[in-house]
Amino acid sequence: MKDEPAMTDSNHTRSARRHFLASSAIGLQSLALAWLLKEDKAFAETFKPELQPKTFDLTPKMPQHPPQATAMISMFMQGGPSHLDLFDPKPAMQKYDGKEFPGKIKYDNAAQASPVVLASPWKFQKHGECGTELSELLPGLSKIVDDITVVRSMHTGVNNHGQSIHALNTGRILRGRPALGSWLTYGLGNRSQELPAFVAMTDPRGIPVEGVNNWSNGWLPALFQGTVVRSQEPRILNLDPRKELSGLAQEKYLSFVQELNREHLRQHPGELDLQARIASYELAAKMQTAAKEALDISKETKATQTLYGLDDPATEEFGARCLIARRLVERGVRFVQLYTKNQYWDHHGSIRTSLPAACKKTDKPSAALVTDLKQRGLLDSTVVHWGGEMGRLPVIQNNAGAAKVGRDHNTYGFSMWLAGGGIKAGGTYGATDEFGHKAVEDVVNHFDYHATLLHLFGLDPEQLVYLRNGRAQSLLDGQDGNIVRGILQRG
Amino acid sequence: MEASPTKSPLRLPAMANCIRITIFTLFVLPLVARAGESPLYETEIRPIFKAACFHCHGEEEEIEGNLDLRLRRSTVQGGDSGPAIVVDDPDSSLLLERIVSGEMPPGKSKLTPAEIELIRAWIRAGAKTAEPEDASASAFSLAERNFWSLQPIQNPAVPNVADSSRVRTPIDAFVLSRLETEKLNFAPDANRRTLIRRLSFDLIGLPPTPEEVKSFLADEKPDAYERLVDRLLESPHYGERWGRHWLDVAGYADSEGFNEADTERPSGFRYRDYVIRSFNADKPFDLFIQEQLAGDEMVTGPLKNLSPESVEKLTATGFLRMAPDGTAAGGAMVNLARNQVVSETLKIVSTSLLGLTVGCAECHHHRYDPILQTDYYSLRAIFEPALNWKKWRVPAARKISLYTDEDRTLAAKIEAEAKVIDAERAALAKVFIDQTLDSQLLKLEGAVREPLKIAYKTAGSERTDEQKALLDKYPKILKISDGSLYLYDREIRTDAAKIKAEHKTKEKEFVEQAFTAALADLSKEEQAAVRSAHATAAAKRTVEQKTLLEAHADKLVTAATLEKFNAASAEELKQLKQSEKDLLATLKADRLKAIQEKATKIRETKPHEGFLRALTEVAGQVPETFLFNRGDFEQPKQKLVPAGLSVLDSQELVSIPENNPELPTTGRRLAFAKRLTDARHPLTARVLVNRFWLNHFRRGIVETPGDFGYLGARPSHPELLDWLANEFMSNGWKLKQLHKLMVTSTTYRQSSKRSPEQDEIDPDNHLYGHMSIQRIDAETLRDTVLAISGKLNRKLYGEPVSVTKDSIGRIIIGKDNLDGERKPLAAIDMKGEQFRRSIYIQVRRSRPLGVLATFDMPVMEPNCTSRNSSTVTPQALMLMNSEFSSEYAGVFAQRVYELTKDDPQKQCQHAWELAFGEEATAKQIENSVAYINQQKQHYEKFPQPKSKQTPDQLALKSFCQALISSNAFLYVD
Repeated sequence: MKDEPAMTDSNHTRSARRHFLASSAIGLQSLALAWLLKEDKAFAETFKPELQPKTFDLTPKMPQHPPQATAMISMFMQGGPSHLDLFDPKPAMQKYDGKEFPGKIKYDNAAQASPVVLASPWKFQKHGECGTELSELLPGLSKIVDDITVVRSMHTGVNNHGQSIHALNTGRILRGRPALGSWLTYGLGNRSQELPAFVAMTDPRGIPVEGVNNWSNGWLPALFQGTVVRSQEPRILNLDPRKELSGLAQEKYLSFVQELNREHLRQHPGELDLQARIASYELAAKMQTAAKEALDISKETKATQTLYGLDDPATEEFGARCLIARRLVERGVRFVQLYTKNQYWDHHGSIRTSLPAACKKTDKPSAALVTDLKQRGLLDSTVVHWGGEMGRLPVIQNNAGAAKVGRDHNTYGFSMWLAGGGIKAGGTYGATDEFGHKAVEDVVNHFDYHATLLHLFGLDPEQLVYLRNGRAQSLLDGQDGNIVRGILQRG
Repeated sequence: MEASPTKSPLRLPAMANCIRITIFTLFVLPLVARAGESPLYETEIRPIFKAACFHCHGEEEEIEGNLDLRLRRSTVQGGDSGPAIVVDDPDSSLLLERIVSGEMPPGKSKLTPAEIELIRAWIRAGAKTAEPEDASASAFSLAERNFWSLQPIQNPAVPNVADSSRVRTPIDAFVLSRLETEKLNFAPDANRRTLIRRLSFDLIGLPPTPEEVKSFLADEKPDAYERLVDRLLESPHYGERWGRHWLDVAGYADSEGFNEADTERPSGFRYRDYVIRSFNADKPFDLFIQEQLAGDEMVTGPLKNLSPESVEKLTATGFLRMAPDGTAAGGAMVNLARNQVVSETLKIVSTSLLGLTVGCAECHHHRYDPILQTDYYSLRAIFEPALNWKKWRVPAARKISLYTDEDRTLAAKIEAEAKVIDAERAALAKVFIDQTLDSQLLKLEGAVREPLKIAYKTAGSERTDEQKALLDKYPKILKISDGSLYLYDREIRTDAAKIKAEHKTKEKEFVEQAFTAALADLSKEEQAAVRSAHATAAAKRTVEQKTLLEAHADKLVTAATLEKFNAASAEELKQLKQSEKDLLATLKADRLKAIQEKATKIRETKPHEGFLRALTEVAGQVPETFLFNRGDFEQPKQKLVPAGLSVLDSQELVSIPENNPELPTTGRRLAFAKRLTDARHPLTARVLVNRFWLNHFRRGIVETPGDFGYLGARPSHPELLDWLANEFMSNGWKLKQLHKLMVTSTTYRQSSKRSPEQDEIDPDNHLYGHMSIQRIDAETLRDTVLAISGKLNRKLYGEPVSVTKDSIGRIIIGKDNLDGERKPLAAIDMKGEQFRRSIYIQVRRSRPLGVLATFDMPVMEPNCTSRNSSTVTPQALMLMNSEFSSEYAGVFAQRVYELTKDDPQKQCQHAWELAFGEEATAKQIENSVAYINQQKQHYEKFPQPKSKQTPDQLALKSFCQALISSNAFLYVD
């Protein structure tokens, strides 16, 4: 037997809770009490199918084993940064530079395909005590290289942006499934009482490929959907009161609503959902101030602002988002994902200019995030991820002169880096072939990646399930994901 | 707040927890050893092996190690490594050794200690089977064949109860007898206000009006309740409400989904309307199912000049066209996309009608239910003649026109008329091109004109290289075409403007000259005085000036009088005017456009051509269906014929032909539909009545309405379920009668008040000892807000009301109106369509309407067998801060204000009744008035600069918004 539903409610716990409610009698206005009362759900034994209709909440849930990570910040480099030019040096390619690739290539765009090898135009150098080799395009990352693990053997095996994004963000290549952040909040609830558990931060210049699917709850209940923090006001939709119902007027309105609700509850003693809704109004009111405060980076010290590059137009925007991400995690947000704009890293052409520009935007702020989390003691419990949905091919795309050449998609072998939350500090994992086309050593598939992340959060990939249409659904969806022990501090 | 990380007991239930659940474990616990008895292969052991081992040891073509665990005897016999078990001796049994060491099953999911102990106990006790194994036993065990939902529907006797005073219908007897075994009884009947609100929401999805409440309260006839039920069941809104439930399981959507484009389905709405109409007409459900599965096979003759009946039947098959369909995009993934449509369609069919997760058998035998992989593909074979992935038809190719021959003839006639205009336009365009060519050539030096003209007139493919080179040198000649004439028109306009300017300058000059000449006889002073008076605006002239001008009237020169003074100058101006006019007359593009518009206007008079989104077969195409190894369409294995589930073979249901010679189609789906609606089919009626029950009682008798299998829940009231199924079928599968039976029961009419006695042993109300409260669903919430605001547009049926994105990406009702950079322009008037009921709002998968999505409107991926109900902060934020909430609170307040004017007590009472269906108590009125006064004072103190509303109105609005934000509004008792 497997796939018994984890974390579903069951009769006895509800009943136990009801007893408690009965004996503690009325007086359930206290949010904290409601919160505590719901916590026992986390201990629910789970051997019956999901019974409908169910209600769901974001109260903290117990992980299945002691977690190493409690939060995650993922910097999603949409488009597919070239691993060959950033993370995965291939000195052997130099002698083939400009010559024909000695093997078979899986091209995506046949019309512009060329078999001519493009050795990286950038120099690699060893850094830190771990000696990880990184490209000269990543000076910021080079300084914190001892805090991160570079995975050089990523693989999704499906050469389209959309599908590979789905693989890395939702577990399968098909659309419509819940995002990683949704699974984590479904499994663990929210650590914050005032902020959303799952935040998606979009680039002011546009949302990534697959748009809202990146933070969709799929068929999980809507409360596990990512909350978009937009790049301009209104930062969070429906967060701010409308003018005529703000300030005192809203306070009065809310207290009147709650007065009505409490009276209604008195006529319906013991109805948990009614209590939960009363609590949801209290949370909403708190969120209005808490979120505003969390998004306000003006109170950060000059030193911190400089660390993230807020004083440089090139890094200001991404730096601000990284800093907000830290502030959110600091305040208990479970999962934050930042996206670069649509196809920002999709360097089919002019890679010699576009790749350095993209690095310039993200390198300093992303390194600053790790540094800052570390100095605040948050890195140990926060997984930081930096990577896209693919890497690039070793050969030229668009062979129209040095300035115009680029690289086509490659999902058979690419790199990403991870830090914190139980990830090994310093070093690399896995390898691609001598041309960086295919991962050949310690291959990490998207399902291995997810199994590892869930493990760090104390969740068993096979136990974290949601029953839907009679099937136990999971993030890995039956794919045989392995925990990648080689990148863990405690293998 | 982080919970402390303690290892939670995931597998073994804590003993303390076991006590409370004794009542329910019988129908929820799938795997329990029967205490004191030795385990049996079929009931205890086989399910473990089936889930964990059969895949390699029995089900695949190649059996690992030649060990087949599907029979007790083959297990004893063993495989390459020798006998798998030694009967009576677990410690010598290789099978157990491999399992205990963790070697088997391979992969990460291992057997639990409890399962291992069960196997050990089974071997120790002699490895017993429940009955002797026959040859067929390998496919399904006895326990599987005996699974409750696969047994014929019984006709149970209505039980006797102790307290018969509460029994209004046989339903009550079943429910009460179960309650009585726990020494419980029904809750008291709910009051009339509660009942009418409950019934209205339940049957039509809208709240009762205060007038309806009043008249129900005043109705003293004994059958007042029954007549209320009848009235609601006859309301056309009944079909909207109950149709919506069916559209959930059908996975209704107005877009194709699958990829980012999420293309719209312009004709999908006809299926939605078919469903609503069918419910309103109380169409027998067996027919309803047959039409949806095989409406096309029930239509005779070619698919043209369709009768209303044929249209209805074909429209019904839209059911099988609801799955996401991304096949039109083509590309490398097209075969995957096609096969996905087939597999999603099967999912919809099986979860909605069979109540089984047949989809699990796509890659291997079902792990838990007796559904073989061959069953899956036999089921698939039923649909493949219509969903033929090898000869696929994309959505556009499946459209069926609703044109009649008459329409077609008329349309052809109109088209012919339009073509005449087209020809006129084409001829004129040709002339214009020649004219343009000539006029452009004239601007070039003489020598190139002729060769250029010849080159231009030569067809592109026949031009010599020299000609091509020449034309490339003169792009202004090369680019002359029908479509570019407007660019050359610009040149003409520029020339004309020049002439106009020249005319203006000259006119001024000529007038001045003539004026000077005319005044020559006068003295300098007189000249100056006349000029000054002449230049002064007529209204401002002094009396002296007027007199002066009258005296010299014969000397006053203007553009109009110039001719009298200087005929030659006037003529020159006239010439200029004429040449400007002549030039403008050569403008070409606008003239062509005007003619084109004429043709368009004519075409618009054609009869509107509607289309059906239907599923049909192509005559003569009978594809072969193959089993796909591991579900991979690139690995076809053996051929399969259409069939129903083989586990039901012994039940003598309608069998499915490969190709019915009496029909133009294969007849497969028609036979399948007949099989499903065969009264002997164990699943269909059970699954349906369970769904109806679920929607009335807010919980299914089987709580997993899409899964009546092993992993699903067991029925809480199995006899009641069968009794209802029988009742439903024997009354001709008529739903309204069943509704009436259910809603007139005591079970339904109970108060929602909990009792401590029941809460003690049945806190989740599995036993129906009271009514469960329920939050209104997303659509009902929106519809109700519209209704109480007096805005609801009750129009039935028709094209979906479009949704769009506002400037910050929120999904709202509206039409796309984007500028060149895809930024939204001004909103387009929706003409009252924005107030339609939610069922008519376009279901664009990628654009769920904000207010509906927040309140758990399901995503159709591909369908929804049962809705979630969440209670979350975004819902609170939406009610507090959204435009929707604020806008309709305002309309609601305005309505209340108009009806009650300045009487605050009346305002509160009226709003209260509209929102809650209740009468406010004196205390509630007092509190409400106090609240309104507080807000009023606030708004007086802090005026709202941009609001046109008075503090009174704003205060009332905030009161109305509080009402629709509150639980009494959001929940139904």
